[in-house]
Amino acid sequence: MEESNDSLCVGIDLGTSRSSISASSGERHVIDSYVGWPMDMVARKLVKKSVLVGRDALDNRPMLDLRRPLERGIMKEGSEKDQEAVQEILRHLIGLAGIKPKSKNKVKVRAVVGVPAEAFRVNRQNLRSTMEGIADSVMLVSEPFAVAYGLEALLHALVIDIGAGTADFCVMQGRYPTEEDQKTLPNAGDAIDEQLMKLIRERHPDAQFSIHMLRDWKEKWSFVGEPKQRVIVSAPIKGKATEIDITQEMRTACESILPPICETMTTLLAKVEPEFQAKVRNNVILAGGTSLIAGLADAVTHALSELGGGRATVVKDPVFAGSDGSLAIAQDASSSDWEKLSL
Amino acid sequence: MPSIGDTKARLLRGIVEDNINVVQGVRIRRVVRRATRVKVWLWIAISGLAVGYLSVATQGVSRGGAPTSAVAKAPAPAINPIASEPVPEIEAPLAHPRPIDRNAIPLTLKTVVIDPGHGGDPGAIAESGLEEKDITLDIGLRLRRLLQEAPFEVLLTRDTDRRLSLDQRVQFANENKADLFLSIHVNSMEPRTIRALETYYVGPTNDPHALNLASRENKESGYSLSDYKQILEKIYVDARRDESRAAARTLHSELFHTLKVDNPELENRGVRTAPFVVLIGTQMPAVLIEIACLSNPEEVELLTNQQYRENIALALAQGIRRYASSLTVAARKGS
Repeated sequence: MEESNDSLCVGIDLGTSRSSISASSGERHVIDSYVGWPMDMVARKLVKKSVLVGRDALDNRPMLDLRRPLERGIMKEGSEKDQEAVQEILRHLIGLAGIKPKSKNKVKVRAVVGVPAEAFRVNRQNLRSTMEGIADSVMLVSEPFAVAYGLEALLHALVIDIGAGTADFCVMQGRYPTEEDQKTLPNAGDAIDEQLMKLIRERHPDAQFSIHMLRDWKEKWSFVGEPKQRVIVSAPIKGKATEIDITQEMRTACESILPPICETMTTLLAKVEPEFQAKVRNNVILAGGTSLIAGLADAVTHALSELGGGRATVVKDPVFAGSDGSLAIAQDASSSDWEKLSL
Repeated sequence: MPSIGDTKARLLRGIVEDNINVVQGVRIRRVVRRATRVKVWLWIAISGLAVGYLSVATQGVSRGGAPTSAVAKAPAPAINPIASEPVPEIEAPLAHPRPIDRNAIPLTLKTVVIDPGHGGDPGAIAESGLEEKDITLDIGLRLRRLLQEAPFEVLLTRDTDRRLSLDQRVQFANENKADLFLSIHVNSMEPRTIRALETYYVGPTNDPHALNLASRENKESGYSLSDYKQILEKIYVDARRDESRAAARTLHSELFHTLKVDNPELENRGVRTAPFVVLIGTQMPAVLIEIACLSNPEEVELLTNQQYRENIALALAQGIRRYASSLTVAARKGS
């Protein structure tokens, strides 16, 4: 609502796998949520940086102490290094939005950061502390709520934000959601990775592949339902590049998140006032990187048909839906609101 | 209907208030729906009646009125089969207080006790000669192997074909301070066409099928009548009932969805309550699963397939992991 030249509003979706930022300056960026520090002098000379963030860190990982500091959408607890890594990610994102460390004193940064729907008070407090020195004022909101706000799906909607670490649910009923309107499940992208890894290892015990290769395969080929094409990937077997068919494994792994997601969706729908349930069923919105799995919306729509019919759709821009929504909140909040939440 | 602008303004007030509460360390308020409130006097009255009911039912159980043959001739269940999502739940009409919020007591899973049903005694026997004790032990051993790398300890009440009383099983779990107790059984029922998956946690029931099953499994419980008061009180005062229910739902859902692939006619009988002794006596969340029906020839054939048994174990392992994860999430919430 109020924004002056000396303030910058940003919306941040701090994700387990990827983090995105949308800024009032018009900048939008997404990075891999990885941070790495050179392991020794040689590595430092080679990478020419004291800390690497995002793809840069992933590409240079053999030389780095690599961290993926978020777990199930929140900071790993008890590790100062991981907390430092989260700060690096946030600093990097703010930098991408156009705020350089030297200009920090001149421009007030007002940040809305998305956290899992059932993120906990202590986690929120930790995150606020971590933001000190990076932003001037901070609001934390649940990720699916931010998505709903950005889409103006404020009434009779169910948002399911499926990321890497968590699947977050939020029923929008025209009021600020309470704990009972929201739910967080650990069945998301990482759970698929774990399952896929296990299934491929069972079927191709000699195939060599890393979790990073597997995540790339998943991003390119993930699907639920009947396969439209075979999923053939290349992985070394005894040092020799070999093509392996992982169609069935991909399907099984991706479909493994459907039962808990549909079950939770059903539970939340049942809590909606009966006369509005049909409206909500027809307005199920999927967001987050894992919602890009081919056929997922159809599968959820199919599950809704067993509840009397409904429709699930994937947001236009699942990767930025959270940060865009957070930015909308940041821009709509008044200066007096921001002052109450300054760091 | 309020305008989008009005709604947004209201939501923004909520966001700011919520964030101020976080800064100040105030717990986020919870909307309590009037309909879900249960008045204390009503709860006491209803639970008193239910305890009375269960007491009668369980005394019947203790007198061994149930069929004693290994392949029991249980009457056909008097419930409607439910075969689709969500996991159906059949519970006696007992009002109970609001579930304890997990966040109030952060919990983690450190020790899991797997209880392969029967041993020494064969349990149910299929026409082909396949015995319940062998299936439950096989799956128990597989489950232990699959959970070897889990961040919790896995113990078996028995890892050989030996006889254990129900009391010994309960003691084993309690002495090892288990955080989850999973008892594995294989059902047997008439008509033989039934192939059903059922999962139980402790509680009263007025379902004759569940009572009959409990009476069979409770045979030779090792408990005396003098233990009954304590046992019955436990059912109602123990907070673990809610956790047992959560664990039962997770395990059942995982198992049903896995088995349905190879066993498409499998009937989802859902999560139920019943007064099994191993569920009553254990001091931790406890679940009893009837993974198949030895009375059904098709299921017997499936059970003789190593991969099918491995799939059962895989699904149970995944269910345990999922339940453990849900505790971790809740523990973070409450920490």
